[in-house]
Amino acid sequence: MEYISLFVKSIFVDNMIFAYFLGMCSYLAVSKNVKTANGLGLAVIFVLLVTLPINYLLYTYVLKPGALAWMGESFAGLDLSFLSFIVFIATIAAIVQIVEMVVEKFAPALYSSLGIFLPLIAVNCSILGGSLFMQNKDFINVGESAVYALGSGIGWWLAIVALAAIREKMAYAHVPAPLKGLGITFITVGLMGMAFMTFMGISL
Amino acid sequence: MNTNSNVYTVIYTTVICVLVAAILAFVSQALGPRQEANEKAETISQILTAARFGEKAEWDSKGNDAVLDFYKENVAEAYTVDAEGVKNGTLDISKAEIVTVSGLKKENYAIKDAAQLALPVYRFKNGVTVLPIYGAGLWGPIWGYLAFAQDGKTLVGAYFDHESETPGLGGKIKDDPAFQAQFDGKNVNFDDAAAFAIVKGGAPAGKTNAIDAITGATMTSKGLDEAINVWLQAYKPVLNR
Amino acid sequence: MDAKLKETILNPIFKGNPITVLVLGICSSLAVTVEMKGACVMALSVTLVTGLSSLVCSLLRKTIPNRVRIIIQLVVVALMVILVDQFLKAYAYGIDKQLSVYIGLIITNCIVMGRIEAFALMNKPVPALLDGMANGVGYGLILVVVAFFRELLGSGTLFGFPVLSALGYVNNGLVILPPMALILLGCIVWVQRAIQKDLQEK
Repeated sequence: MEYISLFVKSIFVDNMIFAYFLGMCSYLAVSKNVKTANGLGLAVIFVLLVTLPINYLLYTYVLKPGALAWMGESFAGLDLSFLSFIVFIATIAAIVQIVEMVVEKFAPALYSSLGIFLPLIAVNCSILGGSLFMQNKDFINVGESAVYALGSGIGWWLAIVALAAIREKMAYAHVPAPLKGLGITFITVGLMGMAFMTFMGISL
Repeated sequence: MNTNSNVYTVIYTTVICVLVAAILAFVSQALGPRQEANEKAETISQILTAARFGEKAEWDSKGNDAVLDFYKENVAEAYTVDAEGVKNGTLDISKAEIVTVSGLKKENYAIKDAAQLALPVYRFKNGVTVLPIYGAGLWGPIWGYLAFAQDGKTLVGAYFDHESETPGLGGKIKDDPAFQAQFDGKNVNFDDAAAFAIVKGGAPAGKTNAIDAITGATMTSKGLDEAINVWLQAYKPVLNR
Repeated sequence: MDAKLKETILNPIFKGNPITVLVLGICSSLAVTVEMKGACVMALSVTLVTGLSSLVCSLLRKTIPNRVRIIIQLVVVALMVILVDQFLKAYAYGIDKQLSVYIGLIITNCIVMGRIEAFALMNKPVPALLDGMANGVGYGLILVVVAFFRELLGSGTLFGFPVLSALGYVNNGLVILPPMALILLGCIVWVQRAIQKDLQEK
């Protein structure tokens, strides 16, 4: 039951896009059509799902104050948490690099349409945000961190596919010329964000 | 040279990593003592601000030595207590010894794991007692100091700090004097469901152990509320004495 | 000054603005635009960091193996931000306290990475430095405009000094919340594209 409520909560209540407004750049830029949005969404789910448990393990067994106790008494007093930022970033960058290579090899079409934004997943704040939030959430095991990662990823995917669908429809609407494209997208996301705020009061 | 060969890639990455690690290690070694002195003075000035001995900006402009001297002159005793409120360690006043923020972090883990505690208590000559709190905000840790009058119930003042809360929203716990001023004259009530509450949408009128949350900073306010209550529970034996 | 260099400097400030045209650095522009002070500090730091990291990555550009370039770039950026932070912590603690909040936001700001990927890796150090700094300025400009409206309408103040609130204005809490920053950004794009017609999308 714990897992289910954590899962649902991380999709809707703690939605990375609409509750924390993280990962906005790639979200806005790659939401022109549902197909590429779907691709990027899946990439984010995957990267989150891999990096978060790894960062969780790194944090629990290496970085947290007293985490090195398993190496012996003399290491028990060590606090390496000041390194957490750079370690998290390095892990994420490494994973993203691997994903980039895999996508380039097996799905060249997707690779060319994602273009500059695949490397930018590395600095997609929703991925780093996930790892930083994890520090504060006190997950008790790897399973919880993986469920949280999956939920956040799906929440992000849901948000980008929804926006892409709206933007595809919007192509047929009479938007003032200067607002077409990016301008109206900003405003749409703002309104979607307000709508998602209704989830904020729900506690699971 | 072929920069895409496997050997080159591996060697290059290794060299960069070693270089970066070496630079960071050297810098933190070389600058460590200076940074620690600054941090210590900062912590003490936060304690003094919470006890309302002066404004935070005043301490910052006076410099490290003045802050340390003022602290040494005015503090009566400083020690650590365990979960029963029994003294289990002394902090050297003549050296202005204090528990740093990373020390508070360790105690925070100890409270959660119900492990052996060594919670700091600072008693000043004018009867004010300052107790630290520590917890999680939205982005990173938040901590602060609550100053109590002699009765152990009435708050004289408070000061909070954070590592990375959003400036202008969660960051207000530190930067907004009006937010901190809300604590002055309030009290804690262990008979209530929460000893102290930070209420979203405004504290009910007439409630003396609650204050208003910060608009637009729900998570930081929640985190601060939790930090205060968790640490107050740990300090209950000290305050009820 | 030759024309190309001038173009490198002027383009990011209006025509190729990182936020409204390249769609980079949105997250931080939502986070730090609640008040003018934060926006200005962030604008300055990003200008410096983008410039310097573009410079360093441009110097290294011929040696970086393509497959690990993201890691190397991120490590370079993070190293420089942390180094500056360490020095400030030792010698200018007051300034460091003001800045430490922004460190995470600067390292993960996609403008820094975006300009390294798109410009610094293909250009000589001096243009790379200028491109980085100009993008920082263009970014800061939008930040300050958004922060102006959000602080004025949301808190009734500017740089913390009461302006509208002194006139009996009731603060609009909605403007403080992130969705309103997005809508303001939308309006800025509107104005910009009404002036600069060739940016309009079909």
